Amino acid sequence: MHAGNPANPMTEIRNFCIIAHIDHGKSTLADRLLERTGAITERDMQAQILDDMDLERERGITIKSHAIKMDYERPSGEKVIFNLIDTPGHVDFAYEVSRALKACEGALLVVDAAQGVEAQTISTLYQAIDQDLEIVPVLNKIDLPGADVEGVGQQIVDLIGCDHEDILHVSGKTGEGVDELLEAVVKRIPAPGRENDKPLRALIFDSIFNTYRGSIVYVRVMQGTLHKGEGIRFMATNKEYDAEEIGYLKLKQEKTDKLEAGEVGYVIGSVKSLEDARVGDTLTTIKNAAQEPIPGYKEPQPMVFSGIYPTQSDDFENLRSALEKLQLNDASLTYQPETSKALGFGFRAGFLGLLHMEIVQERLDREFDIDIITTVPNVEYEVHKTERGEQKKVIVDNPSAMPDPSKVDAVYEPYIKASIITPSDYIGPVMKLCQERRGIYVNQLHMQSQRVEITYELPMAEVVFDFYDRLKSGTRGYASLDYEFLEYRKGDLVRLDILLNGEPVDALSSIVHRDNAYELGRKLCKKLKELIPQHQFQIPVQASIGSNVIARETVRALRKDVTAKCYGGDISRKRKLLEKQKEGKKRMKQVGTVEVPQEAFLAVLSMDDDQ
Amino acid sequence: MSGIYLHIPFCKQACSYCDFYFVTRQELREQYVERLLQEIRNYRDTDYTEEPVQTIYFGGGTPSRLGVKQIDAILAELQRVFNVQASEITLEMNPDDVTADYLSGLKQAGLTRASMGVQSFQPELLEFMHRAHNRDEALQCLELLSASKFQSFTADLIYGNPNQTAEQLARDIDLLLQFDPPHISAYSLTVEPRTRLGKQVELGRINPPEDDIVADQFALLNEQLKPHGIHRYEVSNYSKPGMEAVHNSSYWSHENYLGLGPGAHSFWWDEKPRRWQNVADINHYCSSEDVAGETEQLSMQELAEERIMMGLRTKKGITETELKSRYGYSLNEKQWGYLQKKQDEGRLTLKGSDFALTETGLVIADAIILDLITLH
Ligand SMILES: Nc1nc2c(ncn2[C@@H]2O[C@H](COP(=O)(O)OP(=O)(O)OP(=O)(O)O)[C@@H](O)[C@H]2O)c(=O)[nH]1
Ligand code: SF4
Ligand SMILES: [Mg+2]
Repeated sequence: MHAGNPANPMTEIRNFCIIAHIDHGKSTLADRLLERTGAITERDMQAQILDDMDLERERGITIKSHAIKMDYERPSGEKVIFNLIDTPGHVDFAYEVSRALKACEGALLVVDAAQGVEAQTISTLYQAIDQDLEIVPVLNKIDLPGADVEGVGQQIVDLIGCDHEDILHVSGKTGEGVDELLEAVVKRIPAPGRENDKPLRALIFDSIFNTYRGSIVYVRVMQGTLHKGEGIRFMATNKEYDAEEIGYLKLKQEKTDKLEAGEVGYVIGSVKSLEDARVGDTLTTIKNAAQEPIPGYKEPQPMVFSGIYPTQSDDFENLRSALEKLQLNDASLTYQPETSKALGFGFRAGFLGLLHMEIVQERLDREFDIDIITTVPNVEYEVHKTERGEQKKVIVDNPSAMPDPSKVDAVYEPYIKASIITPSDYIGPVMKLCQERRGIYVNQLHMQSQRVEITYELPMAEVVFDFYDRLKSGTRGYASLDYEFLEYRKGDLVRLDILLNGEPVDALSSIVHRDNAYELGRKLCKKLKELIPQHQFQIPVQASIGSNVIARETVRALRKDVTAKCYGGDISRKRKLLEKQKEGKKRMKQVGTVEVPQEAFLAVLSMDDDQ
Repeated sequence: MSGIYLHIPFCKQACSYCDFYFVTRQELREQYVERLLQEIRNYRDTDYTEEPVQTIYFGGGTPSRLGVKQIDAILAELQRVFNVQASEITLEMNPDDVTADYLSGLKQAGLTRASMGVQSFQPELLEFMHRAHNRDEALQCLELLSASKFQSFTADLIYGNPNQTAEQLARDIDLLLQFDPPHISAYSLTVEPRTRLGKQVELGRINPPEDDIVADQFALLNEQLKPHGIHRYEVSNYSKPGMEAVHNSSYWSHENYLGLGPGAHSFWWDEKPRRWQNVADINHYCSSEDVAGETEQLSMQELAEERIMMGLRTKKGITETELKSRYGYSLNEKQWGYLQKKQDEGRLTLKGSDFALTETGLVIADAIILDLITLH
């Protein structure tokens, strides 16, 4: 390979991303594009090759956006450079999509021909339209027996107001229609501006952290030219470095001497502090600097919060350094130290959503091998109170920090606007669920093929629990959900406390609507009774609001716990069992005299309806 | 001193709760005995034969599936190879195999102790357990046993069966007491996963009894046997004073023992304490030279924990002195504090460095052992 081969100014460029609802086949389609353009050899090919994180591969979903450069040769022999960004479909990672869009002139809107238009089809489409991108609608998975090409085609036509002929029919699995798609990218997506001589403005649309090389930023050059070795400045922070290495984002990084307007690539400059090179910032050169940065991104705001505690208290420092490391590649993760009476020293972490939370927890466990206890996720509240005649507003992201009701003027909670797309057969169950979750009906929009988009305003807190699972199970998996933050609204909220053996356990407190407190308290006690192992003494489990006990269960004392027999001299078996139990016991958290298993701190999440 | 265990893996039919290694085919018996004799001979002139053999135990399976001649041959071979000075030679038998002739034959062969698998006298329970014998066979054979001239005999009972009432258990005990047994083993039913019973419980067809009921039956046994001079000396074992089972007790105090036959377990502590198990497969046993499975080396810590685990199951309990001198294991402050607390709760007695569980401690021995070991 010829290093530092500059883009021929005559070579056309197309920058585009693939957007879709989760699982509609973005990454698989990207595989086919990489294959057809020869960006990857058949030998190196594996399914969803861009999903290179372990977790992505295991879960079969995309978590981070992935940018990649391809050299496409048209049937006419003309060469075109493609910069493709594959994006995640899950609502938690919507900000990844918004970043990708800014680096592109066009977007392939992929729709699964068997599933039809779903919630994130619409939300990602609107984001792309907001960014003024050219939309190329793609009907995918046409190989599926259940593909409804006609009906879903009509849904797309209705949604974006295109003609039927504008829709490409492809299968990311068989490769059918991919050649036409490649040509459509060239023909329909506008070429980027190529003003190489203007002052440099390069948008940082992503960054990764490398222990040896520091922050590696991924940029889209909007105007101007960046040469290797040039002095660079991050415009938001005014920090200056040298562009020690620049290059293209192939499957492996490919060094080059310059990046020109319209191109996409990476820049390495020994940037040790993440703060200096923020995603969304604009990179310029020190000489002939640009005057105005490109308008940046909205920083992703954490929506849910949860306590993260080491099971073994001496793991606290390990946990801190693990969180630090995770944050290097995941700026949307926030955390700060906190202390719990029950759990000791730990952190309160903020996440974009439940999937994000789950992923962070899993990475802590897997990549850092730290055994953690997490508390039930909650949202952030605004508490208004009067202190010495003075009005004050406090942000509460930990239920146990919620002041006593008597000291509070009002509590405000975040509301979201949720849009749910479902086959019309399931309108009933969907509305029932939203109603149960204190939802306020906004409207209902009928779409093609017996589908409806239902809009509700819902307290965010009601969605972080099992809303999504319930929505899915109530609609046989057909409904999809998208939401965005709306505003803070006043609510009649109380703190529900849990007492074990008479002692309040702060990590089990939750903030709930007064009307639901009794039922929730009852269910929670019941669930905890199931989860807490029998001890040699009996353990009262109580739920209370203030000093008012509203529910009670009892974990009965152990009556019998003894193995009948050590089998014919088989002592090993019994000892191994004992060793296993010993490990299990060490993972429990000692709260007063009670040993509480990790799952108990998430009891609310596993409560059944029929309890 | 050492013990020898012989695993005789033949049974007439599979009991519903049983996960011992056994086969219900009887054809291989001859071949098996030949192979067993050979396994014994393989020990000839090894270090294992130097220690005097104090106990021999025929377990199963169902050892009474073998004839007197076969037992005799096995004992004779043991005599030739090992330094046998046995004070206790036990054979497990099922009521449906036993006749007066059989018993006297065994006596002749040198047996000192018979262990009878009664389990219950209640026809419903015997059927539920899928035992091969019936109530009358059990009674008859106990009759024969109590008249026989063995130095000792014992009978097994199983309690804590689904739907078994305390009255039913009391009746079983009463019936058994009529034969004036020197020793009784009573096991609470354990549901093992890979058994017919386990499957049924998993499928929800059978519900094992509540712990409360089993705990009451656990207490009942001791209460009812005490007036007859029969005392609990281990979780599941009861005897008249001095009639404790020597062989089984040696397991609990880390005496050496060799296990022969498929699936048998061995423990040997010379320089390196270790355990191993023979491959639990009769075909493999009969056709292979090497039948021992992997050897597991034990650390002092593991041994100490075993000793605590087994010692606390006995009425005699353990002494810290022994833990220190034999295993280099001392109890820490937290552990002493815990023992003190259990004493205050009446679950344990603590005298100097000696401690033992009381009846109310024994019934939750696993929990206490786990606590104690985890505190180390
Ligand atoms: N039959 C068929 N299956 C497909 C096709 N494209 C993708 N799939 C399957 O659909 C599933 C999801 O594919 P992905 O490519 O991971 O979907 P995605 O849109 O990238 O998913 P996220 O990134 O998690 O939003 C996988 O099981 C694919 O094998 C297709 O054209 N036909
Ligand atoms: S007779 Fe004994 S070894 Fe055989 S199946 Fe029944 S309980 Fe198990
Ligand atoms: Mg993907």
